[in-house]
Amino acid sequence: MIHFSNVTKFYERQAAIKNITFSIEKGEMVFMTGPSGAGESTLLKIIYLSEKPDEGSVTIAEWDLSKLKESSIPFLRRNIGVVFQDSRLLDNRNVFDNVAIALRIRGMLDSEIQEWVMEILKMVNLRHKAGSFPRALSGGEQQRVVIARAIVGEPTILLADEPTGNLDPDTAAGIARLFKEINARGTTIVIATHNRELYRNTGRRVFRIDGGNMVGEEIG
Amino acid sequence: MYLLYSFRLALQSLWREKWINLLSVLTIAAGLFMITLTFFVVYNIDLATKRLPARFSVMLYLNDGLPEQETGSIIAQMKKNNAVEQARYIAKDKALEELKGVLKNADYILEGIDENPLPASIEIKLKKESVNIASVKKFVAEIKEIKGIADVEYGEQFLNSINSIKGMAKAGSLSLIIIMSAGVIFVCYSTIKIAFYRRKEEIETFKLLGATRGFIRAPFVIEGSVLGMFGGIASMAAAFAFHYVLFYKVTAAIPILTILVFPLETFPALPVAGLLLGIGGAVIALGRIRFS
Repeated sequence: MIHFSNVTKFYERQAAIKNITFSIEKGEMVFMTGPSGAGESTLLKIIYLSEKPDEGSVTIAEWDLSKLKESSIPFLRRNIGVVFQDSRLLDNRNVFDNVAIALRIRGMLDSEIQEWVMEILKMVNLRHKAGSFPRALSGGEQQRVVIARAIVGEPTILLADEPTGNLDPDTAAGIARLFKEINARGTTIVIATHNRELYRNTGRRVFRIDGGNMVGEEIG
Repeated sequence: MYLLYSFRLALQSLWREKWINLLSVLTIAAGLFMITLTFFVVYNIDLATKRLPARFSVMLYLNDGLPEQETGSIIAQMKKNNAVEQARYIAKDKALEELKGVLKNADYILEGIDENPLPASIEIKLKKESVNIASVKKFVAEIKEIKGIADVEYGEQFLNSINSIKGMAKAGSLSLIIIMSAGVIFVCYSTIKIAFYRRKEEIETFKLLGATRGFIRAPFVIEGSVLGMFGGIASMAAAFAFHYVLFYKVTAAIPILTILVFPLETFPALPVAGLLLGIGGAVIALGRIRFS
């Protein structure tokens, strides 16, 4: 599903990731971990095409990113749900609209959007907050809105960058359960995290990254 | 499918910044009104110069004592010429009679002249499309070669003046219309550019969620077209007021102004022009949207 082959990315002549190679199969849930600035976020950004690799090749679900036309990027992105580190929730829109935007972009009808969004909000247990604005929500609730927005379009891949960053352990555990549930439906999930609790005893692959290098792979 | 949503976004944005947008609409309206006035002036100059060919004529003075048969042949030759609308023979006596008619009370000038000094002539009216310097010069050069014609006269200066007035009016108005249109486009461009920067974060999120260029551009293009169209409607109202005051109030005091014509097609054209210029400004403001 996701294949990295000798991928390197430079930022102002400094390598953020160096010669990274890995493969993630369809339906897998993998974790990427390492110290801050190790390069996990850059890896995710390359997957959702926010950054281009300087060297190496990346293939996502049969799409060779080096051969991808710029006009095709939106259509690939629709197959990738992203839980951003900085949430990227729109403060001037309520929970419903924040989630619905992912469907409006796909050109879905209002009646379908209404049904779909309420269904997803029910899944993340936020149906009662549909009319609330992001600023009125707790950190955990905000994160669940971001997850709802990421999965509402039924992407084949879900990327999460520090999804439990500022959350208390109970809320973080709730988010972890949610990811498991989404993965169980067949979605491939890649989570970049510093939170060991998130991958401990999951039996999933964990990639260790340090200084932009893949330093190891273990089972969590 | 997303057009309805784009409309909603555009209208929300227009309402959120209503005062700035109102200012933009008024500026666009002022620009379009100036274009209307320029067009009105040029239209009337053009109309006036179009009426002038009817008064233009070329005079062919014939040799004294030219036999009737040769005169007839020259007239026939003229009538055959593609550039000629009408050829009128003026005999010597008729010419004198016409001169007397022109001189009226000043006919004492002719006292003491026993013999008619005026030559017989042919007055040529050219077809509308032939009343231009190049065609007239070509025509005159051709007929000067005809045997029996003593001299040819035509209003060269008159023609030159019409030509330069027309040329200057067209060039001046075209420049002014281009400058004012660029001004209108610039107002739309700035308004949309500001709106785009204000919503930069939101647009970045849309891109990351898989929005196409069309989805991102649509609300801004709609905003630009709404601003342009409302500017056009406001300028239409101003043009209508101008038309009313000029043709119903001013002409009552200065009747000669009734010769002016205001092309009524201008009214519906203004909102359309505003809409197109608004779209143009918005498209330029958005430029190329990049995804990575």
